[in-house]
Amino acid sequence: MKRRLLAIAADGALILYFVFALFPIAWMIILSLKPPNELFSTYFSFAPTLDSYRTVLGAGSDEGVPFPRFFVNSLVVSLGAVGLSLVIGLPAAYAAARWRFRGSENLMFTLLSFRFAPELTVIIPLFVLYQKLGLFDTYVGMIWVLQLVTLPLIVWIMRSYFSDLSPELEQAALLDGYTRKQAFFKVALPLVKPGIAAVSLLAFIFAWNNFVFPLILTSSEAQTVTVGALSFLGGDRPKYNLTAAAALVSVIPPLLLALTIQRYLVRGLSFGAVKS
Amino acid sequence: MPSAISLRGVHKAYGRNTALDGLDLDVGQGEFFCLLGPSGAGKTTTLKTVAGLEQPESGTVSLDGTDMTGVEPYDRGVAMCFESYALYPHRSAYDNLASPLRSPRYKLPAAEARERVGAVADLLGIGALLERPVGRLSNGQRQRVALGRVLVRPARAFLLDEPLSHLDAKLRQAMRAELKAIGAVRRTTTLYVTHDSVEALALGDRIGVIREGRIVQTGTREEIWHQPYDTFVARSFGRPRINLLPGTITRDGGFVSADRFFEIPRITPAPGPAHSVRPPAPGTRVQIGVRPRDLSLGSSVLGPGGIELVGSVYITEVLGRATEVTVRLGAQHLSLVVPRADAAGLRPDAPVRLSVRPESLLLFEADDTEGPGRPGRRVTG
Repeated sequence: MKRRLLAIAADGALILYFVFALFPIAWMIILSLKPPNELFSTYFSFAPTLDSYRTVLGAGSDEGVPFPRFFVNSLVVSLGAVGLSLVIGLPAAYAAARWRFRGSENLMFTLLSFRFAPELTVIIPLFVLYQKLGLFDTYVGMIWVLQLVTLPLIVWIMRSYFSDLSPELEQAALLDGYTRKQAFFKVALPLVKPGIAAVSLLAFIFAWNNFVFPLILTSSEAQTVTVGALSFLGGDRPKYNLTAAAALVSVIPPLLLALTIQRYLVRGLSFGAVKS
Repeated sequence: MPSAISLRGVHKAYGRNTALDGLDLDVGQGEFFCLLGPSGAGKTTTLKTVAGLEQPESGTVSLDGTDMTGVEPYDRGVAMCFESYALYPHRSAYDNLASPLRSPRYKLPAAEARERVGAVADLLGIGALLERPVGRLSNGQRQRVALGRVLVRPARAFLLDEPLSHLDAKLRQAMRAELKAIGAVRRTTTLYVTHDSVEALALGDRIGVIREGRIVQTGTREEIWHQPYDTFVARSFGRPRINLLPGTITRDGGFVSADRFFEIPRITPAPGPAHSVRPPAPGTRVQIGVRPRDLSLGSSVLGPGGIELVGSVYITEVLGRATEVTVRLGAQHLSLVVPRADAAGLRPDAPVRLSVRPESLLLFEADDTEGPGRPGRRVTG
C-alpha cells in the first residue's frame, strides 16, 4: 500500500515536471495559432488560424521580414560551419589523440577556452575587424566566426574517440602497405563514424542556436533565424504570434536531423563509455 | 651475407620507463629466431622498433644490411602479427586477410588475391569463417586471421608477437608443430616473440633471452639449455624449474650448502668463453644449479665421480608417466622428475638418496653479486 502511494507520488511529480517543461512550448504553439486580435487574451479558447505561419513563410501579407531568407541563411552558415569544422577538426583531433608533444595539452586547452569564454568578450573587436575586412554580414564571415562554437566541440569529442581506438589498428595498416594517410582514411575514420554523426549534430545545434554572433556581425544579407525571429517584435506593436511561428519553424531542422541520425546518436554518445 | 635483422645499441624509453636499454640482436637470413622474456622485458617494443612503428632514441636497426633509420613502416617490407590481433573490426575476416593484397604496395589482381587468401585461410583452418565479421570470431579464430594477414603477402621478415598465446592448449600444440612447416615461414626470416619457454625451445633455430630491455643470451636450444648465461636464463627454461642451491666455495674448491647440511667435494665448472666469470675464491657465495631431470633416485646410476646426496621426501606429485618428487636437504628443497615406478614407494619424511652426474651441475654466482636484483652469472672453468 505504501509502495503504491509512493509510486503514485513519483508519477505525480513526473507529470508536474513535464507540465513545467512543456508548458512554454505549448504556449508557443497556442500563440502561433492565435489571430492578432486575441494575442493578449489569456483564455485558451480562440479561433485558430495558420495565418502567422503563412506570413512567416512569406506567403501571407508582407511584414517586411524575409524570414525564408533567414532560414536559408541559417542552414547555409550552420552546415557550412559544421562542414568546415569537420574538415579541419577531424585531422586535428586525430593528431591530438596520437601525437603528444611539448605543449600539446596547452594547445588543446586553449582551443577549449574558445568554448567557455563568453562570446561577448570578443564580440566588439570582432565587429570592428569584420567591418574593416569586409566580412560583416557575409556567409564566409558567419561560417568563420562559428568555428569558435563548432571547432572546439568537434576536436575535443573526436579526440577522445580516436584515443579509444587502438593505435595498433593503424600500425597494422602501415605494415599492410598503406601510407599514414590511407591508414587514417581507411581504418581510423570508418571506425569513428558514430562519433562523427553525434558530434556533427551537436555542433549543428549549437551553430543553429547561436544568437550573439549573428546579432552583432550580420544585418540583413547573412542574418539567421535566431535573430530574424525577433524582427517581428520591432515596429509599432510586437507581433508575438509571428515570432512564435518563426521560432517553431526554426526548430524543425535540428529536430529532423536528430530524428534521422538517432540510431547513430545513441551509439555515438555511449561509445567509449562501455567497452565491448 | 648481412644479417636479415640487426639491432645495434637500441635505446627506447616511454617517459621515464626504459623499454630497451642498449639492445643488440642479430637474426640470420631465413632463420627462425625466438625472443623469450617475461612481460615488460621489451619484446613487443623490439618488434615494433624493427617494424618502424617505434623510433629508437639511439641505436640503429638494419634489415638485410640497410640502415632503416627514417624509413617508414610500409617501406620496410616486414609483416607483423600483433598480440592484440589488431584486426579491422569493421570488416570481415576475408577483408582483413585481403587487406595487404589491396594496398598500393602489395597489390594483386582481385582474382589472384582471392586465390591467395583462400589458400592461406585453408592452411590455417579458417576457410569456413571468411564471410564473418571479425567481431563474431572467437579469440583463437581471430588470432589465426591475424597470422593469416601476415602469411598472405610476401615479406622480407615476419615479426610474430605471441601468435599462439590465445589458442587453447590442443590447438596451440598442433599449430606449433605446423607453423614451422608452413612454406612461407620456412623461407622467410622470422622473429618470434613469446613468454613460453616450451614454444621457444620447440620453434627457435636460435633463441634470445631478453630481460629489462637487454638481450641476456642468444644461442641454439642446446647452448641455452646447457650453458645458460645466468640464473635468469637457467630459470626461464624447464618445468619444473632448475634447482638453485645457495652455498659457498670451500677451501679445497668444493661446495658447501648455506646451512652446511651437505657438501660436494669437487666442483669442476664447464669450460666457457674467455671473458666469462672465473672460478671464485674459497668463501665466495655461489649457487649450484641442477635440472630436475638430471637427478635420479638411489645410487644405481652412478658411474665414477658421481655425486650422492641424502635427504628426506617432502612431497610427491604425479605428472602422468613421471612423478615430481620434492626432497628436503636441510633447509633446501630440491625437485626431481623420475619415472613413476621409481617413486612408487616413497612416503613423506622417508629418507632418500639422490645421485647426479658432476657434469650436470652448473655453478652460478650468488644472485645480487652484480647489484641488487641482478641474477648470478654462470661460473665457467
